[in-house]
Amino acid sequence: MNRFVPRHAMLPCVLALGLLAFGCAKKAVETPPAPPPAPKQEAPPTPPTPAPEPKAEAPAPPKTISSSDFQPAFFDFDSYALRDDAKSALDADAKVLRDNPQAQITIEGHCDERGTAEYNQALGEKRAQAARDYLTGAGIEAGRLQTISYGKERPFAPGHDESAWSQNRRAHFVTR
Amino acid sequence: MTARSLLSFTAIAVLAAGAAMAQTGDVRIDISSGAGHRIPIVCESLKPAGDRSAGETSVTADATLADDLQYSAVFDVTRSWTGVAPPPEVQAVVSGTWTVSGNQVRLAGEVRDLPARRPIFSRVYQGTLQQRRSLAHQFADDIVLQFTGEPGVAQTRIAFASPGDRTKELWVMDYDGAQPQQLTRDRSIALSPAWSPEASLLLFTSYRAGTGPHVYVMPSTGGKMFVVSGRPGNNTSACYSPDGRDIALTLSMDGNSEIYLLDARGGSPRRLTNNRAIDTSPVWSPTGRELAFTSDRSGGFQVYVMDRDGGNVRRLTFEVNNTDSPAWSPKGDQLAFVARTDQGFDVYVCKVDGSSVRRVVAGGSNENPKWSPDGRHLVFASDRDGGSALWVTDLDDRPPRKLDSGGRPALSPAWSPRPGGASSTVQRN
Repeated sequence: MNRFVPRHAMLPCVLALGLLAFGCAKKAVETPPAPPPAPKQEAPPTPPTPAPEPKAEAPAPPKTISSSDFQPAFFDFDSYALRDDAKSALDADAKVLRDNPQAQITIEGHCDERGTAEYNQALGEKRAQAARDYLTGAGIEAGRLQTISYGKERPFAPGHDESAWSQNRRAHFVTR
Repeated sequence: MTARSLLSFTAIAVLAAGAAMAQTGDVRIDISSGAGHRIPIVCESLKPAGDRSAGETSVTADATLADDLQYSAVFDVTRSWTGVAPPPEVQAVVSGTWTVSGNQVRLAGEVRDLPARRPIFSRVYQGTLQQRRSLAHQFADDIVLQFTGEPGVAQTRIAFASPGDRTKELWVMDYDGAQPQQLTRDRSIALSPAWSPEASLLLFTSYRAGTGPHVYVMPSTGGKMFVVSGRPGNNTSACYSPDGRDIALTLSMDGNSEIYLLDARGGSPRRLTNNRAIDTSPVWSPTGRELAFTSDRSGGFQVYVMDRDGGNVRRLTFEVNNTDSPAWSPKGDQLAFVARTDQGFDVYVCKVDGSSVRRVVAGGSNENPKWSPDGRHLVFASDRDGGSALWVTDLDDRPPRKLDSGGRPALSPAWSPRPGGASSTVQRN
């Protein structure tokens, strides 16, 4: 069922895709599956970029601060507007970042379980971006702040009620 | 769900000619098979023959075949071996012989009308003992074809994500929940699988790169995966166009979740939405001319429909609020979606113009409805009996049916198209 194209047919395409620099392939390119056949395909099928192996947890370099030095910003249901308590938390986070100019952080956006997975991935990103934008507004270099959305995939509180949900709607800080 | 009444088997013989089916007589059976209206049929035990062990495997085939016919939602099956009397209006009887020789099996199946027992259809299927469920599936699909003009879905598969401790791995299983097979082993989060049009590939979202959700593709039978889109930000909700030439997905590389088209290799992005709000979860109409998607541009999230160039955007329905997870029916006439409740989500179906909205699943939280390729069923993820599992509704008043998936929790389902080029061994008899 799976159509595989001969290796030699794909070499130019593999090289071309490599230039796009999607990721750092650690493994040699094996014969990849062709894209689904279109009724009349004119060009020979090209493989997508080979997927690198999942990133192993690299040993963290010694840090002066850790993730626990940062306060999460919490959000209302289905919202990415910064509440007053969230701004207070982010003001404190901005101070930590100013006091530790080497620190680089990833801001994770998280959601409660009450939306679909796909919608929450988008909503979580909005929350992470709202926190990032507040911090850059407070003078933190954007280059020190990465964002990632986990949607509802990594809840902090396991329950299925408002007390758990309110904990899970957050922008969460992790040091890099 | 078009009701076909008094479909003549003479007409069906034309359809069936290419499939080398033996067709006899001019039998007419009333098959008004609208939702909730099923054809009463009897399944007799297949007669074991050949090796003495044939009786053990024929029992599996009996159950698989009867289950398939019942799950088809076309038939109401009476299993003769249970001793239950069939209803007086029973219209046909399914029987056959199951001949085992070493590792080879020959299923000679036949269907006769009742009470006259005139032959309607017969066909021989051959394979190995390991393929015994497949032989029964093929026979069942042919019986559905004979009675409705369209084959059943017993040879299709369902991909899904199985949640573990902070992980989700992709799996695939038969449409009835049997033979689950693990596809990813990344100890990361993989979800939102979507099939290629000929069912050989799966697109999906994974966090395996560690820098955000990216879209990958892999063979639906397992194997190496490849990055389709690893652009900055979110790369989610990807699905192939019906002709397999394009991929619709959500990207936030421009700072906000928008819907884009990529070519089938993941290149040449074309942006379809342009809005400060969230736009996500695109799905194609079966013609490929339109897409449905979710947006919160008017406040709460709602399902919208647009042309494939991003124009002509219109909200699907105003009758229900907070709608998401659109799924376009394979015949193009309906959309399924979910709408938020206090408990989570209910599943709804409406016509493409947003009319005739009806709730088809309620109770617990029910997510990600996906159509079977014949449009008779929806698979969805639900916690309706506590755990996280996949369920199937036949879109009628009967309760949904839980899929086993090997006892593991399951969510984020995707129902495969019919496999491209069925590989049954056909013999004229």
